[in-house]
Amino acid sequence: MKNLRLASRETARHTIVNVSDVEVGRDLVVIAGPCSVESEEQTLITARAVKAAGADMLRGGAFKPRTSPYAFQGLGLNGLKILAEARNETGLPIVTEVIDPRDVSWVAEFADVLQIGTRNMQNYSLLKEVGRARRPVLLKRGMYSTLEEWLNCAEYVLSEGNPNVILCERGIRTFEKYTRNTLDLSAVPAIKELTHLPIIVDPTHSTGRLSLIGPMSMAAVAAGADGLMIEVHNNPEEALCDADQAYTPDMFADIMRRLRPLKAFLTQEPCAAA
Amino acid sequence: MKLEEIRLKIDKIDRELLVLLQERMGLALRSKKFKETISDPDREEDMLARVERLNLDLMERSFTRQLLKTIIEESKRLQEEDRPLVAFQGEHGAYGEVASRRLIPNGAYIPCMEFNDVFRGVEKGYFDMGVVPVENSLEGAVTQVNDLLTTTELNVIGEAKVAVNHCLLTTEATDYRDIRMVYSHPQALAQCRGFLLRNKLEPCPYYDTAGAAKMLARENPRAGAAIASALCAELYNLEILKAGIEDGPANTTRFLLLSRKPYDQGGDKTSIVFATTHEAGRLYAVLRLFAEADVNLTRIASMPLRTDPGNYCFFLDCEGSALDEKVAEVLRQMADLTISMKNLGSYPADTAM
Repeated sequence: MKNLRLASRETARHTIVNVSDVEVGRDLVVIAGPCSVESEEQTLITARAVKAAGADMLRGGAFKPRTSPYAFQGLGLNGLKILAEARNETGLPIVTEVIDPRDVSWVAEFADVLQIGTRNMQNYSLLKEVGRARRPVLLKRGMYSTLEEWLNCAEYVLSEGNPNVILCERGIRTFEKYTRNTLDLSAVPAIKELTHLPIIVDPTHSTGRLSLIGPMSMAAVAAGADGLMIEVHNNPEEALCDADQAYTPDMFADIMRRLRPLKAFLTQEPCAAA
Repeated sequence: MKLEEIRLKIDKIDRELLVLLQERMGLALRSKKFKETISDPDREEDMLARVERLNLDLMERSFTRQLLKTIIEESKRLQEEDRPLVAFQGEHGAYGEVASRRLIPNGAYIPCMEFNDVFRGVEKGYFDMGVVPVENSLEGAVTQVNDLLTTTELNVIGEAKVAVNHCLLTTEATDYRDIRMVYSHPQALAQCRGFLLRNKLEPCPYYDTAGAAKMLARENPRAGAAIASALCAELYNLEILKAGIEDGPANTTRFLLLSRKPYDQGGDKTSIVFATTHEAGRLYAVLRLFAEADVNLTRIASMPLRTDPGNYCFFLDCEGSALDEKVAEVLRQMADLTISMKNLGSYPADTAM
């Protein structure tokens, strides 16, 4: 970890990333929304629902890095316009993925946080480009990456002059097939030992199973995560991607009711009488 | 070409036909200022005969004749309506037209190439009124207009503050990744400097925002986009790539309404342009008059005198009308302290913003 001149624990105390009024690294920040922006209606309905349930930011993909070139690739710039509209209506800041260095400045015109997806974690030209953008970066962990490789990627962004990096653990590939990936929750306290950057957890893509999202969300908060990123779709059966792992708005509202009290319990002062 | 493409082309042509007709009607309205009577049968017969000599094999002569007759009838009807001709700089859809609509709701709005054409056109009686931008909240004075104001005999009879919401416009066929050149009026380009820099776009000055939009729609230059109003996207069938691209959140332009006759109902704001001698305390002495009379100033700006380098003239707006005794007294005393002074006019203030 000797090359981490800017990302390592010793260089700073604790980074708080400001996104509008949201402070990532201070409170529990919940980012929710659909996997991809499919239409104005679907995005606005979902945005209103996650806002009502207490989400802090809206996620939604306009540019989708899909396994197959024939799968839905996202609405592109029109998707960004829809997200901007959802922000105007709900006030939720927008988190969206950027996959092409040529698009970084354009995505930054519409979005509040630039997401680097797991498949692009080590796309160094893309990392340099978002390092020069004036928007915070949400850096997902590569599904085959060690913590050291991950932090070196954060270093790429920091070294270009962008100090606002949020890390996101989203599961790694192991031999286990029951879950889509293996959510490495030990990464959360480990990252806190290694760096001053905030870390959030994505329980949706890591487990790929609806039944596991709730328990792993609670576990992530217990492990000290600064936030969560959860996929929510107003009508999951008809979603154009990741249909079988998206929460309905009701399921999301239910987990939100349990997360905040848990966080409050974990951060309360030790009781003198106990 | 398949049916869908053919229909797209037909729609485009219909649109252009109507836009051209609108331009033609504007010209007909202007012609009225040079004629004794609206109807001119010789000229009409001449026009119809000329079209008949055209050999358009798909269209019957009776049809083209009827079509042109219908257009001429409509243009005569428009001339009868007697709408005031209001000149603005730029093409249809320009912010100047937005301001004109606000100031004179029932007018016929006539686009002019240059600010000078607006001033001279109103002075010579070709137009009834003119609308020109005088200052912008981000960029400051519109120097060309301020310069023309120092020499014109026209009166300011109104003002309008127009919120400027610049949009990046493209044709549907243009991929945003290919955009390199952005055409617009230099003021608009300056107001969006940050956006252009961030996206590595080259500003290309054009005579007008709406003119740039019109050019884009007609010529579709490679790698080109335009900065103009959302109204232009509608008028010229362009796509809004991004709205609100100006650097500051409160971008407004103040327009003045010009006329040969002064506003005769008092008004609550007065615009003055003056110059003082190059002596210590001269400007102060002028400003003191306003302070002592308790007349509030809403604008004070200096501009280099083109005819006299090193010397400046000053634009001053104050509350109150020159018909108010208090303001009139200040203006009388001011005349003694300045080497030149011109009361541009008193008019109702725009309190919208």
